Amino acid sequence: MSNETQSPHRRWLLLTPALTILTIAAAGPLLIVLVFSFLTPGDYGGVIWKFSADAWFNVFAERDFFDETVSFSDAHLSIFWRSVRLSLLTTIVAFLVGFPTAYFIATRRENRRNMWMLLIMVPFWTNLLIRTFAVMEIIRNEGVLNSVLIGLGLIDEPIQLLFTDFAVTLGMFYVYLPLMVLPIYASMERMDFSLVEAAYDLYASRWRVLRKVILPIVKPGVVAGSILVFIPSLGAYVTPRVLGGGKNLMMGNLIELQFGQGRNWPLGAALSITLLAVVMVALVFYVRSAGSEETPHG
Amino acid sequence: MIEISGLTKTFGSGDSAFTALKDVNVTIAENEFFTLLGPSGCGKTTLLRSIAGFVDPTSGSLTINGDDILSKAPYDRPVNTVFQNYALFPHLTVAENIGFGLEMQDRPKAEVQSVVKEMLELVQMAPMADRMTSQISGGQQQRVALARALAPKPKVLLLDEPLSALDFKLRKEMQIELKRLQHETGITFVFVTHDQEEALTMSDRIAVMNGGRILQIGGPREIYDHPAERFVADFIGDTNFVSADLKSVEGDAAEVHLPSGQAIEARSVAGGPTSGAVTIAVRPEHATLTAPGALLDGTLKNIVYFGTDTHYHIETEARSTFVIRQQNQPDSAEDHKVGEPVGISFNPGVAQVLRD
Amino acid sequence: MAKSRAFDVRRQSGFVFIALSCFVLLYLPIILLVVYSFNAGTSIAVWEGFSWQWYVSAWQNEKVQDATILSLIIATCASLVATTAAVMAALATTRTTKFRGSGLVFAMINQPLMIPEIVTAVALLIFFAMIKVATGYTGLWYLIIAHSAFCIPFAYMPIRARLQGMDLNLEQAAADLYGRPWRVFRRVTLPQLWPGVLAGAMLAFVISLDDVVITEFVKSAGQDTLPTYMLGQLRRVITPEINAISTVLLAISVALVVAFYILSQSKKQ
Repeated sequence: MSNETQSPHRRWLLLTPALTILTIAAAGPLLIVLVFSFLTPGDYGGVIWKFSADAWFNVFAERDFFDETVSFSDAHLSIFWRSVRLSLLTTIVAFLVGFPTAYFIATRRENRRNMWMLLIMVPFWTNLLIRTFAVMEIIRNEGVLNSVLIGLGLIDEPIQLLFTDFAVTLGMFYVYLPLMVLPIYASMERMDFSLVEAAYDLYASRWRVLRKVILPIVKPGVVAGSILVFIPSLGAYVTPRVLGGGKNLMMGNLIELQFGQGRNWPLGAALSITLLAVVMVALVFYVRSAGSEETPHG
Repeated sequence: MIEISGLTKTFGSGDSAFTALKDVNVTIAENEFFTLLGPSGCGKTTLLRSIAGFVDPTSGSLTINGDDILSKAPYDRPVNTVFQNYALFPHLTVAENIGFGLEMQDRPKAEVQSVVKEMLELVQMAPMADRMTSQISGGQQQRVALARALAPKPKVLLLDEPLSALDFKLRKEMQIELKRLQHETGITFVFVTHDQEEALTMSDRIAVMNGGRILQIGGPREIYDHPAERFVADFIGDTNFVSADLKSVEGDAAEVHLPSGQAIEARSVAGGPTSGAVTIAVRPEHATLTAPGALLDGTLKNIVYFGTDTHYHIETEARSTFVIRQQNQPDSAEDHKVGEPVGISFNPGVAQVLRD
Repeated sequence: MAKSRAFDVRRQSGFVFIALSCFVLLYLPIILLVVYSFNAGTSIAVWEGFSWQWYVSAWQNEKVQDATILSLIIATCASLVATTAAVMAALATTRTTKFRGSGLVFAMINQPLMIPEIVTAVALLIFFAMIKVATGYTGLWYLIIAHSAFCIPFAYMPIRARLQGMDLNLEQAAADLYGRPWRVFRRVTLPQLWPGVLAGAMLAFVISLDDVVITEFVKSAGQDTLPTYMLGQLRRVITPEINAISTVLLAISVALVVAFYILSQSKKQ
């Protein structure tokens, strides 16, 4: 039903506070980042207001006949690759665990499902740093996992788990898993289980029911969940910093480095825009494939 | 008195434009129980909401007692609405709901209390005053919605299919109740419904609407006995349509020739045809079954017994079906047989010439 | 009846096991973290008996005290600002036909959910650095504005959901009964919207309280919130004091989130 009392004047007046805050402290500054990526770095951080495309050049390319920056560019590509690789791995593992979990919840009694979903969502709403820290405590050399393994006599000395790619992936899987379960569950809950009955009636096996009936129906949820896990993994900063240590950088840490020790703000800005572009591509892909399906929010 | 003239409402624009009201003209008198009757999508609710102020007409004028109200916001109009789903405030009690309009008008507390009390008694809801609206039955919610709309003593009460959510028995009760309330309060009621029986039993006058237009306005008897258009005849009650040849019109009376060649007096329609091929409408209960050689002849195809009456389905010589409804007498035996040739006859004046 | 075991169409082998493992996996680290906050020893792996000592030491730690106060101030201000803005935005964007620019408005509101936090953090670092240089102001408002911005979509979601579930007829009925817009809002809209507003404010509060990345980049010297303080501590020798602080933060978040769920599940009266 159309609400004829909603005048454009009133509407924009009501939107002013939210749009102002978001412009000042979210969208607007992104434009400044774009501008900064084309400036010259200052000696002690900051920028000199002089045009330069060096930052963008340094993002991707290697410049063979210059000084030490050569190895640096090489590092960029390997960091990009690690970010994408670990994010994909995180997404796949999250799907493998999240899909059965969502299915499990969707097949519970109706009045119990919300409780199970609450159990999934409560950790998500708690502090990301604390959850990362909790993982760290377990996989440290002197942590619970190694202590137990040594205690059982399975190993003699601690396995180095912390500060490895495994640790980063495990951490990201742990913190973003709820984002996979939520949209898959949302699709699955709407699914009509009489379709499954119909498939069994038509001689399908359990595996084929899963492949040919359930998966296609909940595909929008799977796509949404994958994107919701992939995007924050790609831009993750806290988890690789805490669990990856100084060596196993991801894009987020590389960006931070330019504003800290690196003192190369234009490069940091260019790297930020690059990360943003990759995320936007993923988002566009998501919007396209999700179509009219409503965006589930974390 | 509500005067509506040339009221038109178009939603959207361009190719997707939809005209919900087309040049509606109607005058509703003081203290009248006026019904807007039509199928869903006919524009009756749009017309009602235009009066209430929730729809802004594209053109035309709308006055109440001479005041132009189109320029006024809903809260400045002397009309109140009983909504289809009642729209009772779920966070307020029954009494608070009823007093809401008076509260918004900043009436003194004592006055609000006394009016609420009066209204609670009027709709027989006094014992429920402090209940929340979710704790009362559908029929009771209906009464509260009525009381709430009547409490500010509006000049006009608008009712948007208020009985549609009630079950059959309750609906019958509320029909009588509504009529009583209208009589007691002396307020003009504008009532929207798609139920023709409801319209016929309750209204002083009925406006039959279709496709955004008012097709006919009249009292229940006039609408039923003398439908002006095919749609009206078809929408209200059951009707037989017969092709005929219009010979002459003199005032109300028209002379038509039936396909059988027989001539009969029918009622003419204002603004209708004056000669040539026309359609006439005959109500099933206005016709009688006779021996062949009557106004129309045909073959008896089906006999359906309904308890109070019996329906005879006759295939006429023009190969169309004509239904006759005859009241049953106690202990009478059926003396007609399916397949036998029969005649159809009706009195002069019961057939109605239709506008196209 | 004759058959003792009916065919269960919902069963998929192994799924229950994976799902239950998933729940264990989700909670085990958190539970261990909480358990070791009560450790009498200094280790976070070897249990040496129950003690409150780390809570006491955290409580007496001046840096923790300052960070706690700052966290609470920022979360309170940011959630108030964000919730107010979100209520207004929700009123403007729900229960209305599509309007010119609606796509852009939704993109703007949800933008903090889509853009990587590190990018926003860097953008704010640059932007606020310019303002700091220009004005010399280094106070709390940078953090409050930044937090308000990313809290808006979280506050907006439950409020919008609540508004959409509300019957538009109620406000029309109120207008029909001589209620002017502002009074209709106060007497009819707001009382029914209230659970949504409360839920939105709670989410915003939790989100603000938990933020690390943007705070880390925006804060001026000495402006540590609890999460940024903890992030700094993780580089040093870790004692169960961190666990104790974490446990308290967790308890606050869990309480608010559970309250939020109950609120958003509550049916209209």
